[in-house]
Amino acid sequence: MENNTYDVVVIGAGNGGLVAALTLQKKGKKVLLLEKGRVPGGFASSFKRGRFEFDASLHELCEYGTIENKGEVYELLERLGITDKITMIPIQETFSVYTLDTHEEYTMPVGKKAFLAQMEKYVPNSTASMLRFFDLCEETKQALAYLNETKGHPDTKVLMEKFPNFMVVAPYSVQKVLEKIEMPSKAQEILTTYWSYLGSPAENLSFVHYASMIYSYITNAPVIPQHTSHEISLALSEEFTSLGGKLEYLSPVKEILVENETVCGVVIEDNRRFLTNHIIANISPHEVYTKLIAPEKVPDKAKKYLSSQALGARGLCVYLGLNKTMEELGLNHYSYFIYHTLNSNVEYKRMHSLYNGNLVATLQNNREGTSIMCLTSLLFNDAFDQVVTAENYYEIKEKIAENMVASFEQATNVNIHEAIEEIEVATPVTFARYSGHPDGVIYGYLASGYANLLPRVMNEPNEMYIKNLRFCGGFSSRLSGYSSAYLNGEQEALKTFGEMKNETI
Amino acid sequence: MKQFKIGVSQKLDMLKFKNLGQEREKEINKAKIENPTTYRVNELVSILHPSKIKVKVARIEKETEDTKSFYLQPVDQEKMPPFLPGMYVTLAIKKDGRTFKRAYSISGCDKNRSYYRITIKKVENGIVSKYMHEECMLNDLFIILGPFGHFTYQPLRDSKKMVFIAGGSGITPFMSYLQNDHFKESIDSLTLFYGAKSEFDLIFKKEIDEIVSRNPKIKVIYVLSEQKRDDYAYGFIDEEKLLKENLEEKSIFVSGPPAMYFSLNEVFKKLDVPNKFIRHDIFREIPIDLQNETFKLTIKMLDKTITIPCHGNETLIESMEKGRVKTLVHCTVGECGFCRSKLLSGEVKTENASVRIKDQENKYIHPCVTYPLSDVTIEIPIK
Repeated sequence: MENNTYDVVVIGAGNGGLVAALTLQKKGKKVLLLEKGRVPGGFASSFKRGRFEFDASLHELCEYGTIENKGEVYELLERLGITDKITMIPIQETFSVYTLDTHEEYTMPVGKKAFLAQMEKYVPNSTASMLRFFDLCEETKQALAYLNETKGHPDTKVLMEKFPNFMVVAPYSVQKVLEKIEMPSKAQEILTTYWSYLGSPAENLSFVHYASMIYSYITNAPVIPQHTSHEISLALSEEFTSLGGKLEYLSPVKEILVENETVCGVVIEDNRRFLTNHIIANISPHEVYTKLIAPEKVPDKAKKYLSSQALGARGLCVYLGLNKTMEELGLNHYSYFIYHTLNSNVEYKRMHSLYNGNLVATLQNNREGTSIMCLTSLLFNDAFDQVVTAENYYEIKEKIAENMVASFEQATNVNIHEAIEEIEVATPVTFARYSGHPDGVIYGYLASGYANLLPRVMNEPNEMYIKNLRFCGGFSSRLSGYSSAYLNGEQEALKTFGEMKNETI
Repeated sequence: MKQFKIGVSQKLDMLKFKNLGQEREKEINKAKIENPTTYRVNELVSILHPSKIKVKVARIEKETEDTKSFYLQPVDQEKMPPFLPGMYVTLAIKKDGRTFKRAYSISGCDKNRSYYRITIKKVENGIVSKYMHEECMLNDLFIILGPFGHFTYQPLRDSKKMVFIAGGSGITPFMSYLQNDHFKESIDSLTLFYGAKSEFDLIFKKEIDEIVSRNPKIKVIYVLSEQKRDDYAYGFIDEEKLLKENLEEKSIFVSGPPAMYFSLNEVFKKLDVPNKFIRHDIFREIPIDLQNETFKLTIKMLDKTITIPCHGNETLIESMEKGRVKTLVHCTVGECGFCRSKLLSGEVKTENASVRIKDQENKYIHPCVTYPLSDVTIEIPIK
C-alpha cells in the first residue's frame, strides 16, 4: 500500500475516534488517526493547575462495573487490551439532589434493593411502581442488546415474544411511561434527577434511553478513573500507536475528498493528502458537511439532516482546587445535583437563561489534604452567545463562576469559596476552542422527539449521505456521553470493517 | 393480566415503535435547508484565542540601561485580543534561519488594545533578548502566540486586599494590573513591593508613581539592593519589610527571579500564609547537578528521525531551536504542556513541570524545562 494510503482515516482522537481507530488497528487494518490538538481524548482530558489535576469533562463513567460484574464498557476496553492499564474507582452512591426553591434533599444508593428501600423511605408506597420500573429497565436492557446483536435488523417475532413491554414503552418519553405505571409523582421526580446528564427533560427524553442509563448506575456502581479521564485516553492512544497505528497531532483536516458520492481521501492543514476508502469522523456533522466537503459534493439530504437537528446543551464548568478535604468541608457525596425544583420540564426551561444556578457538582479528595470540585451547568439555547462579546468575555466568565459557586453554597449551606486555591472556568468558547463544535455545544444533538436514541439507531442506515463516511462520538446515533461514545466508536469501526470485507469479495 | 399499553392500544404502541426510524426519516426530509456557515461562539474563539498573531513593532522605548519596551501592533486586525492582567505572549524571532521562542508578560496596552507592550531585559547569553535589543528595528514583523497564562486575579479565590512583589523585570505583569480599571475597581487595597538594584534599574517608576498618585487604594514601596537612599527602602524584600505591612488575609502575587521565589517561600511558610494566597508568575527553575557536557538528542518525528547535539546546561527545546528543529513550545516554562513529548530513552532532569500524573508514568516530558543527563531520544508525533 502506498505511503499516503490508508484503509481508514479516523478524524478526531476523542473517545469515539480512539476506540474506532484502535478497534480497526487490532483487526490488522492500516489506520491513520488525525487529531487537531496536542493530546488524545478530546473532552476526555485533564489539565493541571498548581497541585491539582482536573478532569476536563468526566463526571462518572457508567456501564463499566467491576471485574466480577463487567459492564459493556468494561468488556469493550478489555477487548481493546487496556483494562490492566487503567485503575477505576467505584462511586458507591448514585446521586444526591438538592433543590434551591423547595429545599428538598435526597441521596440515593447503589443497588436495586437499597435504591428501592430508600425510595420507599422518601416516598411511601412507591415500591410497586419502582419494581415495575426495574422490570421495564431489565427488559429494555436485554432488548437493546438484542437490537445490537441483530445490527438494526431485529426479527419482529422475537421482539414481540421476548420484549413486548419494551416495544410498548419504546416510542414514549420517561414521563409518559412513569405516569402510566402509576409511579407517585415525587418518586418520578427523584428518579429523573439524572435527566441533565442526557440533556433533555422527562417529557422529551426517551424512556428507553433514560432507563438504560439509570439502570446501569443503580445495578452497577458508576466509576471514575484514578487519575482523570486522561488515564483512559492515554491508555487507548498508547495501545493504538504501540500496535503500529499512526496518530498525528496538530493535524486538523481541512478537506474531505469525495468522488462519486463516496469518500476517497482527506487533506490536512499543511496540504498533505491521504487516500482512503473509509472515514470515521469523530467531529460534528456540521463541520463535515459545511466546512470540510466541497459544497457541490454535499447531497441536499445531508443539508436537510443538519437543519433538522437541534443542537444539544452548551456547558459552563467551574473547576475548583480546594484546600480542605471533603470531611473538613462537611461534604460527603461524590455528586450533587442542584436544581431549583425537581420538575425537570420546568428546570429545562429555566436553563434557557444564563446564570440559572442549576448545576451538577462532583467532589473528591485529592492529595495533601485538598479536594477537587467540578461544577457543571447546562444551557439549552443561545443565552450565553447573545450576551457575550470579546470585550466582556472575561467579566462574564467571572460572573458565571460567582453564580455557580453561590448556587452550590446556597443549596448545601457549605462555604466553599474560602477554600478555593485554584480556579478555572470553561465556557462554550472554551469548548468550541478545543472541539470545534458549533457554538461549543458539549452534548451533541438534543435528545428530543425523533432525535432520541431509538429513532436515531433505527434510521441510521439511511443517514449515511456520503458512502463510507461514518460518524462516531457525541453527535452520532448513540448520542453523547462517555460510554455512548466508546461503544459507538467500536460499532462504527465494526461496520467499517464489515464494509471492507464486502469490498474484497 | 391486563395488556400493558401506553397509548390507545398495545398494538398501536408496537407499531409506533416499529415506525420510529421512518418517522425520523420523514422529519429529516421535511426540513427546510437552513444551515449557518458560521457560529457566534466559534467566531469569538478566533478573536479570543487566535492560533497566532502577526505583529509589527510600532514603537521601541528604552526604559532603563538594559531594558526596552516594544509596542506590538497587529497587522491583520485592528485590535489585539482581550486578555487578563498577568497574561503573557510567546514571541518568535528568526535568526540565522532558526526560530527562537520566548514568553513575555504583557506589560500594558492602550484602551483600544491597538498594541501590546512587552518589556525585555537584556540577558547575558540570552539569544532572544539580545536580538531584540541589538537587532530589532521599528516596523519589524513578528509572530506572537497567546495571550496565555494563569497569573491572573480571580475574585472568587483571591483576597480583595492584594500584595504584589516584583523583582527587577518581574514588574512587567503587574503593569497590566496597574493599568486595568476592572481590577482596580474590584480590589480594596494593593501594596506593591518593587525591588531593584538601584533607582536607575526601576522600570516604569514614573508610570507607577503616576498611577499610585491617582489611586488612594494603591501604595508602592521601592526597595533598592545596591543603593542607599533616604527615600527608598534598602536591601531585599524580606520578612522584616513584608511584616511592616499586615499580610493577614491578603493575596500575595510574586513575580521575579527564581531565587526571590525561593527565599520568599521560606518567609511565607514561616508566616503560615496559605497556598491559596500565594501566586507566582511562571518561571523556569533550573535544576541543580546538571551535566556540563554535550550529548546527542535524537528526535523521532512522524516522517523522519534526526539527531542534533544538546548541551547539559540547555533545555531540550533550546537545543532544538539551535539545531534548527521545529519546536511546539508556548510557555517555555513547563506549564502549558504544548511541547509535551515522549521520552523514548536516556536520562533527563526536570523541575517544576506541570506534567499530568499518567503522562509522567508513561514517560512524557515537557522538553522546555527538561535538561539531558545523557544521550536522549524523544518522540513528537508531528511532521
